[in-house]
Amino acid sequence: MKIAILSGKGGTGKTTLATNLFTYLEDYALIDTDIEEPNSHLFLDFTIQDKTPVYKDYPVVDPNRCTLCGKCGEHCNFNAIIVTAKKVIVSEDLCHSCGFCKAVCPEKAITYAKKSIGDIYHTKTSSEKDFSYGLLNTGEVSGVVLVETLKSETFAMPNVLIDCPPGAACTTAASIEGADKAIIVSEPTPFGVSDMDIVVELLNNAGIDFGVVINKAGSADTEIYDYLEKNHIPLYGEILYKASRARHYSKGELLIYHDEAFKENIKTIAAHVLEGEHHA
Amino acid sequence: MREIAIISGKGGTGKTTLALSIIPYFKELVIADCDVDAPDMKILLSQKQTEKNLFYGLQIPTFDYDRCIDCKLCHQSCAFNAISESIELIPGKCEGCNFCEYLCPVNAITMENHAIGHLNKHQTAYGPMVDAKLFPGQESSGKLVSEVRDKAIELAKDTHRETIIIDGSPGVACNVISTITGVDEVLVVTEPTMSGIHDLKRVIDLIKIFNIPIHVIVNKATINEAKTEEIKEYCQENNLKVLLEIPFDQTIVNDISRKVIPSLGESTFFKSKDWKAFVKHLI
Repeated sequence: MKIAILSGKGGTGKTTLATNLFTYLEDYALIDTDIEEPNSHLFLDFTIQDKTPVYKDYPVVDPNRCTLCGKCGEHCNFNAIIVTAKKVIVSEDLCHSCGFCKAVCPEKAITYAKKSIGDIYHTKTSSEKDFSYGLLNTGEVSGVVLVETLKSETFAMPNVLIDCPPGAACTTAASIEGADKAIIVSEPTPFGVSDMDIVVELLNNAGIDFGVVINKAGSADTEIYDYLEKNHIPLYGEILYKASRARHYSKGELLIYHDEAFKENIKTIAAHVLEGEHHA
Repeated sequence: MREIAIISGKGGTGKTTLALSIIPYFKELVIADCDVDAPDMKILLSQKQTEKNLFYGLQIPTFDYDRCIDCKLCHQSCAFNAISESIELIPGKCEGCNFCEYLCPVNAITMENHAIGHLNKHQTAYGPMVDAKLFPGQESSGKLVSEVRDKAIELAKDTHRETIIIDGSPGVACNVISTITGVDEVLVVTEPTMSGIHDLKRVIDLIKIFNIPIHVIVNKATINEAKTEEIKEYCQENNLKVLLEIPFDQTIVNDISRKVIPSLGESTFFKSKDWKAFVKHLI
């Protein structure tokens, strides 16, 4: 089964849940698709088996062939090509690699070159489990290709946990594609509730079955519980806020090794998520 | 005009909490919530939503199946795999390049404006606010961020307001780049955790590309004092200043839950010398 872990709001505990669930479940791999700010690797003990750059294509104009006709600039919808009286200026960062400019050039002056936008790391943990993550180069605009490559290289494995990016934009949509189930990690604050709404809609649109884990639970704020009830969303588990937990987290430690009650939480959540799996 | 952006790299470090807390000290203010995936400023600030408009971020193809000869050229040529073999658009994949329309030999493709979210204006006690809500899974969210900022600048000019406070989103890619491009200064909110420090370094690398003045704020500083020291050392090595340390304080969380701006709420931190000095420095 492919299980996506996501949140809407950042910092609710996606990575905490993903890394601890990964450690608890013997037959699951973990991939971290938060390629802008991946954190799972900070909590795990692993050896890198393979590091591969991911490239994007961008146009290069041959000045000897170019007649400055301007067609490439006219057709580029991303303002990535500007044709001046003297030369063609290409912005690699703005380019979406759509291929339009190359196709419209009457002089065949445009070829595509490759530029690295980030790297994918495939690793084995100290207990011989598969863990992979991607890291987008700073300054790059979009990491969707990185997410898609990371997934295509790992989705042949039968059981994968996906530590997704926050929000619900294109990289999150790419991360949940093909998932069988999802866990939303939220927190009992007005922001946690408000930001959960957009991922609920994203998962409903994608037809993915999901439940919610409430992290940092224990406050008097009950809005989130009302929201779950009203929207008929199952509660997979609650994890209490404790200063000791924040401290273990701050040091990059896996809570499952330090906190028995937390381990019980993980067991409960795993049971909910995997429910019916072996009968299917 | 002065634009101040608040970002963090890592999510949940306290961007919105800080943005909300500084707002009451500014006069002649416009507020821009650029976290278009998860806009939260309105929860505490909005007195009234004054405008709500669709934002058309890109054009997407529509197909005239009476004309289509099923040559599959559009399907084969789409760099984003946005057109299925049966010539249907796969939602959320199209990036709006218009190449398919150009390629179609029988003019069976027409491009239509596609809404990627809502753009809203609000009235608040501290000045007008612009925010937006992206539709789930949409491309081009950076354009929506830019639009929020453009509208905020327009409002500031029209109403002769001097300062724009921008609340950003987590990450380092399109949304954050659109949030900080051309602003006057950036406040980076971090936390003393391994994740916080890892993500801080990446977001600082990004801001340096744009050559914008940076102030670092350590939130929840008391969670791990050793890590707070580590942040200070890193900042010193990189000629950056930690302008403020905010202790972890459950009353701040409770204030947010009560929908009270933290600096106007129960926490004693906001009566401290440190906070007052920070505010004085900022305004």
